Amino acid sequence: MSMTTPASGTVSAAENDVLLDVRELSVVYASPGMEPVQAVDRVSFTLGRGEFVGLVGESGSGKSTLGFALTRLQKAPAQISNGRILFGGRDIRELDAEELRRQRQGGFAMVLQSGMNALNPVRTIRNHFMDVFRAHGHVGAHERAGRAAELVQKVGLGPEVLDRYPGELSGGMRQRVSIAIALSLEPQLMVFDEPTTALDVLVQHAVMDTIQALQKSENFTAILISHDLGIVLEATERVMVMHEGRIVEDARSVDILERPQDPYTRMLLSHYADPRAETISIPGFVDMGTRKREGKARIDVTTTRPTVSARQARSADSAIVVEGVSKVYPAPRRGEEKVTAVSDVSFRLEPGEALALVGASGSGKSTLAKLITGVEKPTAGSIRFGDLDVTGLRRRALRELHKDVQMVFQDPYSALNPLHTVEYTLTRPVVNYTGLRGADARRRVLELLDTVGLTPVEQFAAKLPHQLSGGQRQRVVIARALASDPQVLIADEPVSMLDVSLRAGVLALLEDLREQWGVSMLYITHDLLSARLVTENILVLNRGRVVERGETAQVLRHPSDEYTVSLLDAVPNPARAKGAR
Amino acid sequence: MKYIAQKLGLFVLTLWAAVTLNFFLPRLMPGSPADAAIAKLSQNGPVTEATRAAIEAQLGVPTGSLWDQYLSYLHQVVTLDFGVSYTFYPQTVSSMVSTALPYTIGLVGIVTVLAFVLGTLIGVAAAWKRGTWLDSLPTLTGSFLSTFPYFWTALLLLFFLGYVLHWFPTTGAYAATSTPGFTAEFIGDVLLHAILPALTILITSLGGWIIGMRNAMINTLGDDYVTFAEANGLRGRTVAIRYAARNAILPNLTGFGLALGGVVGGSILVEQVFGYPGIGYLLFNAVIGQDYPLMQALFLMITVSVLIANFLVDILYGVLDPRTRR
Repeated sequence: MSMTTPASGTVSAAENDVLLDVRELSVVYASPGMEPVQAVDRVSFTLGRGEFVGLVGESGSGKSTLGFALTRLQKAPAQISNGRILFGGRDIRELDAEELRRQRQGGFAMVLQSGMNALNPVRTIRNHFMDVFRAHGHVGAHERAGRAAELVQKVGLGPEVLDRYPGELSGGMRQRVSIAIALSLEPQLMVFDEPTTALDVLVQHAVMDTIQALQKSENFTAILISHDLGIVLEATERVMVMHEGRIVEDARSVDILERPQDPYTRMLLSHYADPRAETISIPGFVDMGTRKREGKARIDVTTTRPTVSARQARSADSAIVVEGVSKVYPAPRRGEEKVTAVSDVSFRLEPGEALALVGASGSGKSTLAKLITGVEKPTAGSIRFGDLDVTGLRRRALRELHKDVQMVFQDPYSALNPLHTVEYTLTRPVVNYTGLRGADARRRVLELLDTVGLTPVEQFAAKLPHQLSGGQRQRVVIARALASDPQVLIADEPVSMLDVSLRAGVLALLEDLREQWGVSMLYITHDLLSARLVTENILVLNRGRVVERGETAQVLRHPSDEYTVSLLDAVPNPARAKGAR
Repeated sequence: MKYIAQKLGLFVLTLWAAVTLNFFLPRLMPGSPADAAIAKLSQNGPVTEATRAAIEAQLGVPTGSLWDQYLSYLHQVVTLDFGVSYTFYPQTVSSMVSTALPYTIGLVGIVTVLAFVLGTLIGVAAAWKRGTWLDSLPTLTGSFLSTFPYFWTALLLLFFLGYVLHWFPTTGAYAATSTPGFTAEFIGDVLLHAILPALTILITSLGGWIIGMRNAMINTLGDDYVTFAEANGLRGRTVAIRYAARNAILPNLTGFGLALGGVVGGSILVEQVFGYPGIGYLLFNAVIGQDYPLMQALFLMITVSVLIANFLVDILYGVLDPRTRR
């Protein structure tokens, strides 16, 4: 690619009103003895005062590195190797440490990705504000208390949070507090680095609304860094798309949506769809209803040899029956209420069926997964797998159950031991559950890799987790779950940590397992779009109760419960952004 | 307040349990000290009934029910009456312990606290100036010195500073010629005698604290709240002390509690090498002389000191970390 300047559709701010002017900026990660990695590659753009710009890219695109460089927060081994960053006409690369520190008040501020961890756990919120006021002296000593209260109010919190410690606040509240602290600097430029990624869907939506409202009322210039094109298109007027260290497209949000120029932008866009639409198609995928109508499988060719029992062998297999199940946890502290995580939930998961369990965090969906796998015991109700009463199982019997019911976890980055090769990771469960040894076990491991599409299998078997991408890791996790030839997979948010471009592949794999081999699946998620793609039936949970159930397409297209509607509204959707404008 | 009351309650409870165990464990063992003494004697010939009675009278065979014994034992513990030492007859155990204790606490206790404070401060500086000489110099010397075996450092110091250069006295807590009392002369003498053992403890333990604190702080320096504090333009000193160091010290407190608890019990080696008349020296002699009353009192002391140290660290934790207060 020869594009060093942004592609067509560039919005250049009026010359006299430029706040930030970045020219040919490069950032490299240089560690001694290692090949330097070019994270940001000759990026140029300008930002007008009062603009709200999105910076979008998948993991590894260099977007966060760029954000840190713009605020001079990059730390070794990252270093700016080339270019200029003119902030209000002055190159911030030339500022010495003290000038830079002063510049942070009334200059540029940053809100970090994990706002939950951005606050000092041993200082009260009030002290966080006082530290800022004392460091810069821009607020008189008498006005400080009032100003702090005013600032937390701006982000929608009451003054009582000032006396709390960060550990006493929820994730959303902490992120709001860190936005308020950044605001207390009265910055001209705010950089938001994935401000809502670690938050629950519904909270995410509310925090984004706050950010948008503040940007208008306080009138700062803002950069919103996100992996989620949907969120960015909804919030900002202009979007820069980053890929492999370069800005591949820089255009108004409307143009990105309607006339995306770069193939990468088009690819990102193609993975968005409205879960409410009549038919949905993302690359490599059509929604289940449409497929059924047209009577075709998602894929035409059967994957080579089966490593899980063929579908026919399973026809007589057992359903999971959950009846009137409740789970109440004892009060976290004395004098507080007991926590009802799951309340009177009943459903059946038939052999070969795919059932979605959706809800925001705290809705009890992960607790249900623990109950079904026997990790926790329900307070009331019964859970049966075929003739087996799951709730009464002891350790040894649980092991038998886990032969048939396996979990796939959310975070592929921590679900694999970084010290073990893929082969070792897969051999353990194969040996434990099937009793195969030596060459037989190895053959089985290679078959599993083949099933999950990690080919050439010999190569992947020898790899360590860090040599794999997120999607590949999640495939290994799925292969591990398949090792015992289970009848049921319980997939807890299996794609939420993955880049959009990788999600489709993993979803397709889950779908194949169900369609080709008859593995039934309980798909736990907050992501309604993926639920629509891979499940037939859906159960919407709110505070431990089932508020809505039915065919997935039917429920999502015509939701009857308010909670379902709010979940649907929280789905970032570029197309809706267009409608709103 | 509620937190402190809770911890205090727990402290009293564990203290009672330790004291009780100290009573029951020896009684669970078969035989008695008298039987042991008679068995020894009987190897040389038959033991008459009169000898047996004499031995039992000398050692004091318990009378009354186990419960009565327990109550009188509790009473003795509370009034610090541990009986008379066998080896240093007719001194009472309590008077011996109370003479030795100030030396141990004064020397090992103070030096342990000093090593922790000093090591933590140096560790903070090293982590904050990572990669500079301020980091490499203390880290390297610290890890080098702490690999020296304890007694080896002690012997080296004794040999060079004491024997060759005659800068410091080589044994005892004060010179045989000076009279104990609250005079400037005597105190100066005690301090002079304390320097070599103190230096030994400092040299061998400082490195661990430096490295522990440095590594913990390098971790917290990478935490988001430190980055965010920098992004907010807080002064370097504030970020280093109130954000990074303040959080890094928390895990080290546990180690500090263990070190404090080991002060009384762990002073044997240093006091033996330097002929320092503290608890460790006493314990060593009690074991050698099979002085049961003294040993029992000392073991109880060691247990209690570990409990007190843990209690203090618990309170410190409560003060420093709001998350533990809930």
